[in-house]
Amino acid sequence: MSSELSFAEELGGVLGWAAALLLLLSAVVLAFELRRHLRHRALVALTALLAWLTLAGVVLRPSRVTTRGSVLGPQVVVLVDRSRRMLLRDGEQTRDEGARRAVAALRERYASARLNVLGFDEGAPRPWTEQPSPRRAGSDALGALEGVASLTTGRPDLIVLVSDGRLTRPAPSPRLEELRAQLGALGIQGHTVATTRVTPKDASVRAVRAAGAAVAHQPLQLVVEVGCAGGLDCDALPVTVRELRAAGPPEVLATGVATLEDGVGRVELSVTLERAGARVLEVALRAPGGDEIPDNDARLLTFSVARERVRLLHVAGRPTYDVRALRRWLKTDDSVDLVAFFILRTEEDDTATDDDSELALIPFPVDELFTQHLPSFDAVVLQDIDAVRYKLSQYLPALARYVSSGGGLILVGGPAAFAGGGYAGSGLDEVLPVHIPTGGASFDVNGFLPTLTDAGRSAPVLSALRELAKEGLPVLPGANLLGGPRPGAIVLWEHPRLRAGEQPMPVLALSEAGDGRSIALGVDGTHLLGFSEWAAESGGRAFGALWDGLLGWLMRDPRFEPARIELESECIAGEPTRLRVTRLAQQRGPLKLVLERLGAEPAPRTFEQPTEEGSVVVDVGALEAGGYTARASIGEAPAARVDFACERGGEAWSDSRPDPERLGQLARALGGVAVGLGGIGELPLPPATTVAAERHVTPWAPAWAWATAAAVLAGLHWLARRRAGLA
Amino acid sequence: MSRVTLARRGLLLGALGLGLAPGTARAFGTAGSFLPRSLSVGGRRLQGLRDTAPSRWAWELMRRTSAPARLSQVSVAADSRALFAEPFVVWSGADDPAPLQPEELRHLTRYLKLGGMLVVDDAEPSRGAFGRGARRELARLLPSSAPLTLPSTHVLYKTYYILDRPVGRVLGEPRLEAIVRGGQAQVLLLQHDLLGALARTAAGGWALEVEPGGARQRELAVRLAVNIAMYLLCSDYKDDQVHAPWLMRRRAQQR
Repeated sequence: MSSELSFAEELGGVLGWAAALLLLLSAVVLAFELRRHLRHRALVALTALLAWLTLAGVVLRPSRVTTRGSVLGPQVVVLVDRSRRMLLRDGEQTRDEGARRAVAALRERYASARLNVLGFDEGAPRPWTEQPSPRRAGSDALGALEGVASLTTGRPDLIVLVSDGRLTRPAPSPRLEELRAQLGALGIQGHTVATTRVTPKDASVRAVRAAGAAVAHQPLQLVVEVGCAGGLDCDALPVTVRELRAAGPPEVLATGVATLEDGVGRVELSVTLERAGARVLEVALRAPGGDEIPDNDARLLTFSVARERVRLLHVAGRPTYDVRALRRWLKTDDSVDLVAFFILRTEEDDTATDDDSELALIPFPVDELFTQHLPSFDAVVLQDIDAVRYKLSQYLPALARYVSSGGGLILVGGPAAFAGGGYAGSGLDEVLPVHIPTGGASFDVNGFLPTLTDAGRSAPVLSALRELAKEGLPVLPGANLLGGPRPGAIVLWEHPRLRAGEQPMPVLALSEAGDGRSIALGVDGTHLLGFSEWAAESGGRAFGALWDGLLGWLMRDPRFEPARIELESECIAGEPTRLRVTRLAQQRGPLKLVLERLGAEPAPRTFEQPTEEGSVVVDVGALEAGGYTARASIGEAPAARVDFACERGGEAWSDSRPDPERLGQLARALGGVAVGLGGIGELPLPPATTVAAERHVTPWAPAWAWATAAAVLAGLHWLARRRAGLA
Repeated sequence: MSRVTLARRGLLLGALGLGLAPGTARAFGTAGSFLPRSLSVGGRRLQGLRDTAPSRWAWELMRRTSAPARLSQVSVAADSRALFAEPFVVWSGADDPAPLQPEELRHLTRYLKLGGMLVVDDAEPSRGAFGRGARRELARLLPSSAPLTLPSTHVLYKTYYILDRPVGRVLGEPRLEAIVRGGQAQVLLLQHDLLGALARTAAGGWALEVEPGGARQRELAVRLAVNIAMYLLCSDYKDDQVHAPWLMRRRAQQR
């Protein structure tokens, strides 16, 4: 409780000053009068003073004000770093555990304060909890401070920031003047608490930067920054870049050595990614012994590899109208970089000249093509070419590996294709969508109308052709005899009469093969879609519609995929991972998502969603660190695919060094102090606030008493003046 | 490994033996083979000695190259839907052709739009009546596309044989003219009586003497026919960059 003197509260400052001025003026006039008249001077002065005082009492009505209230503790906000980096271990405990200890100590230190504990990472601060929850990579302290300053619950008196100091904002080594200018506007005092000041022994890949976008077949410069800290002995660190693949072990793309100076080094590596789409690269260093954090020795990064042009190898065993149609169509597409080899002469042909200089023929560079240049192609079309006769057989296993590692392959029919060309048991048949039978005839010469399967009726790859061929396809002149589809293959066209075992014989089938895709087209008459009496009705556009779909699907053109698959957020090992699958091209039907780890043995995991339409979020649970491929099929249509990387710590763990200096700068800019865990007890306490709850006003005398006294004393003063001879 | 395949020639002969006449029914492996059909316009079919030339053309192609071909003699009317069955047709004659009828114009326009190739062969270039008449009708057919002289570097001169100039039964002009559409020489205008050089007698000999003469001239005429067929089947394949250094060396050797 407190008590104080108060005057008429309704009077403004101007009226008060006017009253004081009037009294002062009266005193001056009286003093002037008393200097001239010396009789009863004391009496006149005394009565005048009393009259003035009572008159002042009338105007000012003095009162005694008594108030009762309570003392409120200061409002303190504790901001705790919740970024993923706080999960790093410092010896026996994580930085997060250090932060929990800091919060406990702050609760004790500021027991009398109104404490509010918030966690911060990349967005607005949120209530802090000790329960495990998904983490983000960044820790934006500046954003968190600004967020606290604008809280609707009122601006706090004090902020205490708890972190290891390796913040996203402010940047390393911030300038104090700039920080002060930025934080001074908040008008809040702040302290910082460093959860650790011990730098772990750690070699890490600090950053991987690419010079420009990744384009298939073009060298991409990677700048790999590495660091070594905590007294670890590393003058040079070997760095390796590998591409993770679905089939087989990772492929080494580049190696180099980073020389370190003052604990940091960098190496520039050139890598060439041959396949377009999402590709997972591992950038790893070989750490010296004693490395305490092995999880950040490698980064797993997903590169979205663009394709400027489709580089296509077209090899044909003999020139026919089918070859003509395909070549003409490929040449009209400016996005196709076509390399073609056609067998124009065989050993049996009589050219009617012994002089080769009269012939415009070149040797078929089979060895050069299928060893040296094969990886540079996005897709290979083998059209009616006898693998045995043209010595292709020995390269077919390499061609199969090319497909498995991401290449595209179309085997186009003809008398010398499939079984007729010696492809059965060649190794290449392992990556084809169909089995190739051995023994017996290799093709059937009878014309037929291919039958669309359920998949053929719904697959986007055939949608344009379906539009143009609503009345049915032309009669195709016979077919290669093919076996049944391989597991996972999708058959689009079947033969209406011929069978492969118990089921109709496939005529057109697609399949994924490792990282690549392959197509088996067991006919040599698709040119009839472009030039025939049937084709004349559609302007010959059906041929382009078919091949646009086939080549587009082979190249993973989104137009021909049934769905788009995206990660809902960055994939971090051990944290829940969710994939969003969006149906495309009016695809309907249940969704089946198959998740497989790149280059690893564990069996694929399958997730099924009965929802028929719209986009679906599939929770695939917590994954281990590594590369993954997700395939989503809608109904019977061929599957869409995406590859993605899942890291243990990701960018957040790339630099494990704490940064207490940055916390010190922050504290200075906030007008506070920076302490470690042990110094929390020394943090100064902000002053408490008193809040009034009750107020009593007691006047010294009632207004009428002041008025009566003033009138009486004014009368006495008048009598004294008369006696002194004043007017 | 046991597998069944048919040799190329055996396959074609077998197809013929089975009576699979091109244009009516086609079998696996033959549907895409070269078939030079003769064009009949205004009811005028290719007749006389030259009607054997298309099958000889196919035979020479098959003998000399890996390209499959059909040996049938097929004539197709310009106003029939059968015109669209194959992408190759030869219009040959000696006299001024009758004006194309509307249906013929319509079908030929559609044929060329689909990408078909037309070879116009003047059987008597010294008179030039057919050549002039054909050009007149082509101007009606393709009013916006005039014939151009193909440069000596054109791919037609190197699709299989390396040739310096066109030659037929007659030596004719040392140049080829064509109507080029979409980068392709779609209508080829010959003033060399190519079919005359290819025509055979029933006894198996050459039906017509070449002028000025010599086996070399006939051989070069056959080579031109082979090159035209290869151009049809492979288009500008020999213009691909991969062939350039080889062909430059060959040209240098020839000189």
